[in-house]
Amino acid sequence: MDREALALEMRGLREQVTGITDTAVAAADGLLIAADTADSIDPEGLAALAAAGLGLARRTVGATARGTLRRTVTYGSHGCAAFYAVGDTALMVVIGDEGMDVDGLHRASQPALDRIDTILSAPAEKAAEGV
Amino acid sequence: MAGMRYSLDRVGYDVLAHALHRCGREEFSGQLRVAGVPGGTFHLRAGLVVGAESPGAPGPETLLLRSGRVSGEQWAEVVRESGGARWPATGLIARGHAGAAQLRVVCVMALHDAAFAIVAGRVHGCERVAGAEPFATVAVGETCVRLLQDATRRLAALATLPHPLRPDRERPTPAPGVDPGPLSPLQRALLDQADGRSTARDLAFRTGRGVYTVTVEMARMLADGLLECPEAPVPIPVRPPPDGQGVRQRKPAPAASRAAAPPVSAVPPAAPDELPRRRPGASGIAEALAPERTGASWKGFFRLRNGAPK
Repeated sequence: MDREALALEMRGLREQVTGITDTAVAAADGLLIAADTADSIDPEGLAALAAAGLGLARRTVGATARGTLRRTVTYGSHGCAAFYAVGDTALMVVIGDEGMDVDGLHRASQPALDRIDTILSAPAEKAAEGV
Repeated sequence: MAGMRYSLDRVGYDVLAHALHRCGREEFSGQLRVAGVPGGTFHLRAGLVVGAESPGAPGPETLLLRSGRVSGEQWAEVVRESGGARWPATGLIARGHAGAAQLRVVCVMALHDAAFAIVAGRVHGCERVAGAEPFATVAVGETCVRLLQDATRRLAALATLPHPLRPDRERPTPAPGVDPGPLSPLQRALLDQADGRSTARDLAFRTGRGVYTVTVEMARMLADGLLECPEAPVPIPVRPPPDGQGVRQRKPAPAASRAAAPPVSAVPPAAPDELPRRRPGASGIAEALAPERTGASWKGFFRLRNGAPK
């Protein structure tokens, strides 16, 4: 796995979409892989929440015959958190403030998700460090 | 620092100026949607701009909520009472959360701030959409010419500062080992919140202030040495999967082995294949509400009411 490429994708999405404040990538079971989050956010807990949230959403989509799950978005008075599935293996969390254009995020995130899926599918390097 | 000097997106600005002037000339009513970064929307009525919104500048709701003038609960209550209105001005005034003049000022500030954010960014194109009434408007609209002049004047004022800053680009950090001395509340808030990950626009949203105000204040703090722009962005910690391979597809475990699997931290509990089926009468509520078998229900009621023994 190319750690630098993954960090570039996460940073690039944040630069591209106005209003993104935090991003994280985790395995589908909630194991954190990379986090670009503020100190006030626990990235491990966020990854676990995202995995649980996506799992629940996927089952809801299945139970209601709504087709393929695309994403879940949770809105609060100070912004929103979007959870995306990255292929079948991983997930991405995007957190934004009130100004974030959520439709713009969905448009911009799709190509990034495909590239992140490709990056994550490649064999991993040995050491882990900040990029 | 010369690299940070402002350069107006001249082509984009011309596109925007042309579209706005045409809206004014033709007394257009509706939306002028501006594609770009951050982009935004101008709301016009008879050629006058009565509202503007942009992802690059906090709107009236954000200014009220994030500044602490109105709490989230109070806002939700007023919206509920107003039948789900996006800008419940009447309810805010009636409940005493804000005055009418205060709300007008907030709307005017948000309008000019959004125009500044749109002009300060990059404009890719403009599209007119007829109809679509805006939700937070100013009583007296601004002419397109004056609004653009105001936005460019602000940009020019920002560019004359010793350390100009772009609202959506630089991500400053507090300068290490500097005694800040006495600070204004805004400076204190910016110094506390600047983390090397947030732009002036991000901090404007977080503090509930106008993006122009915050950008100018941060430029001044850069000049005073309170903030600095790091050379490299804050690193993103990346931890590859421990098995040395890429992330693999998760295979659903067979039902028998799933129950015996040891619990793993940070992993949500495996969802059962089927939701538990509710058994009739499991809660006991039917027995609790059932009439007494030994006597007539009305009889029992009067006994209860009069306190008579059975």
